[in-house]
Amino acid sequence: MTNNVFTFLVGGKAGEGVKKAGSVAAHIFSKLGRHIFQMDDYMSLIRGGHNFSVVSTSTRWISSHYMKANLVVNFDKRSYDLHFNDLSNKNGISIYNSDEQEKGEGIGVPFTSEAKKYPMKTLMYGVGAVAILSSAIGFKKDEMNEVIKSEYPSGIKDNISFADLIYDIVNSQLGRKYKLEKGDIIRPILTGNESLSLGAIAGGLDVFYGYPMTPASSILHYLAKLAPDFGLAVVHPENELAVINMGIGSAFTGARAMVGTSGGGFALMTEGISLAGMSETPILIILSMRPGPATGVPTYTEQGDLNFALNAGHGEFLRIVASPSTVEESYYLAAELLDLVWKFQTPGILLTDKHLSESSMTVNINTSKTKWSESNNYDGEDYKRYLDTDDGISPMIFPPSNQLIKWNSYEHDEIGFTTENPKMISKMHDKRHKKVKALENYLKNMKTVNVFGNDGPEIFTYGSTTMSVLEALKYGNITAKVIQPIYLKPFPIWELEKESKKSCIVVEMSKAGQFADLLKEKAEIKTKSLINKYDGRPFDPIDLSQQIKEVI
Amino acid sequence: MRLNETTIGIENTWCPGCGNFSILNSIKKAIPKLEEKGIKRENIVISAGIGCHAKIFDYLMLNGLYSLHGRDIATVQGMKIANPDLKVITFSGDGNAMGEGIAHTIFAAKRNQDMTLILHNNSVYALTTGQYSPLAEKGWNGPSTPQGSVEDPLNPILLMIVTGATFVARCFAGEIHHLTDVIVEAVQHKGFSFVEVLQPAVPYHSWKEYREKVEFLQKEPDSYEEALKIAREKHKFTLGVFYRADKPVYHEALYGNHNPVVNRISREDRIRKIENIFHIG
Repeated sequence: MTNNVFTFLVGGKAGEGVKKAGSVAAHIFSKLGRHIFQMDDYMSLIRGGHNFSVVSTSTRWISSHYMKANLVVNFDKRSYDLHFNDLSNKNGISIYNSDEQEKGEGIGVPFTSEAKKYPMKTLMYGVGAVAILSSAIGFKKDEMNEVIKSEYPSGIKDNISFADLIYDIVNSQLGRKYKLEKGDIIRPILTGNESLSLGAIAGGLDVFYGYPMTPASSILHYLAKLAPDFGLAVVHPENELAVINMGIGSAFTGARAMVGTSGGGFALMTEGISLAGMSETPILIILSMRPGPATGVPTYTEQGDLNFALNAGHGEFLRIVASPSTVEESYYLAAELLDLVWKFQTPGILLTDKHLSESSMTVNINTSKTKWSESNNYDGEDYKRYLDTDDGISPMIFPPSNQLIKWNSYEHDEIGFTTENPKMISKMHDKRHKKVKALENYLKNMKTVNVFGNDGPEIFTYGSTTMSVLEALKYGNITAKVIQPIYLKPFPIWELEKESKKSCIVVEMSKAGQFADLLKEKAEIKTKSLINKYDGRPFDPIDLSQQIKEVI
Repeated sequence: MRLNETTIGIENTWCPGCGNFSILNSIKKAIPKLEEKGIKRENIVISAGIGCHAKIFDYLMLNGLYSLHGRDIATVQGMKIANPDLKVITFSGDGNAMGEGIAHTIFAAKRNQDMTLILHNNSVYALTTGQYSPLAEKGWNGPSTPQGSVEDPLNPILLMIVTGATFVARCFAGEIHHLTDVIVEAVQHKGFSFVEVLQPAVPYHSWKEYREKVEFLQKEPDSYEEALKIAREKHKFTLGVFYRADKPVYHEALYGNHNPVVNRISREDRIRKIENIFHIG
């Protein structure tokens, strides 16, 4: 077990329970008190194709999956061929479907002919993978059956009978091959999207709007499921134009509103983001990136929308852009941004990507450490929605109210009436611009940059790629100082003065090196070596550690 | 400023004789009538799109959000979903509601969103110098169609009945009592109410053109099929309520009697429930 990490990979067609088998494996490991990282790779289709789920586990914090697996279970020949090189050359064991291929490396299991005997047929393959894992890590049958009962509640009898059969087939060769040490505590498992959803709820979320688009859809699904229990309104309207404008309408009533999308949907929202800037509407937008441009590669990952997030929307207005690095940070940052957009009455963007949105990790979240979104409420007379104040932040009143509340997309006066007066136009520009300084001053008292390590060469990265870098350093036993700006706009240059004029290593998932450009433009940080990946797949820590070693 | 103040000192920039003045006056007359029926002025919130019609936003002492072109229909739905105690009204031009924002209009009707859409139908893009609109007559000679538009206009009344609106009416800016009464009924109606108002934009159409053609429905259709038939057959100058129905409204179907803003769950309860998810999950 390289690096004290055990990795389980399961591959097959969509509809064979591949992802579920990965999740069950993750739960088995977490129940042992271990940390996990699960990455699901799937194609943009419903049935067929090739999917795989890879779960890496360790007794220490682990921030990436490994593409060299100890135990690989493939349900079909295609998966076997694709993952042949993903087998760890130290102690890797491959399980293949002996009904699909006569010969193979490892242990053959007649998945097809055995599953045919049950009404659920190929749907049972995942159960078989869990049985194989159970045998390999030395679970007794009753331990395995407990897991099957709780994780596969429909058709329990058949599932257990199938699992027993598969267990018996492999156990003589595979049984107790891997001894997994127990960890310290049992931690919950969350995806990045689940985590940011819960964080937003903890921060005061009232309404969520979303139009399905991978990899942001699971925010919509998760919040829709939680809505009744948390008293939320969760709505899937006709398009992203409706999404952002309904969000803005809700914010007008005082509701903490959030929307979620990926690049294409975000493009449709830009008109509304500009409206939020002008009308000073607090709204939190989750932008989960996938490879673009255009439709791109829907179910894979990239960090190609950084510049778009920083600049989307016509006209000049204040925005906040921040990107979490881990599942845990997604929780806190969602609440923090919900608070900030209300404090500064402007749109905020939480920038994430498929890799962080949809990968799962064991987490240790302090639920009450989150910010609770507060607004600058007014209870006096002579209310003016856009009162010009020292910091540019105007007081808020929400309907129903007998005092006039006018929010406006046109340039407007302090009350909110439309204006074309040149003095008023520049005055209101100045008023809104004051918030830029106010926000920067506010952020100076907050944690805006994460730094990991003190010595060694400086490596700049952001978002989910931070996790890949940290795991690569652990794997390669490399000493380095990893600097991850959480906030990207305003860019926390006050935290990066020491690095100014230096030449650093930059790691990001963008062909053009958008993050490297941002470092140069904002903080005069030069890029000595850009390590970038843009094939839709996240970095593998083994490859990345090699790339880092080459440039140090 | 308070909602009951009458002089607001805002310059009205509609053309003299514009049909929009009648809509403004009707709304002002409708508000006290609605108050008599128990709908408080402070519970009314408005939006508007962009165009001549939308200037009404500045002329009404009502709370609201001046939205973007066509998006006003989404804006008010967001208001209603967050706080269903509010009565939401949007003023929308034919370019707004039947052009740029038609998807929002159709879906608001489809989900029977509890809101009122007042369609200022002047059948032209007036503020942008007279281009043909989704409701302009075929052959309209505007700067974007110098040889005359080649498209037939939409039939908004038919479209709204078909897509699920539960109160559908047509009024005329020159029949201000009828217009006021219909607005009062539309705002009171629980569900998606749609009031098309024929409204001359005087640089492009004369009042005379309208007065010669308008007629009232003999009687209100009493079934869905009859409403469809009348909406299809009657020319675009027929006034009256074409259709009304009782159907569950969107926000109640979504979350019953809940109110996401007024009945927010406390921070402590949220944290406790999240802890439970972590514990079970």
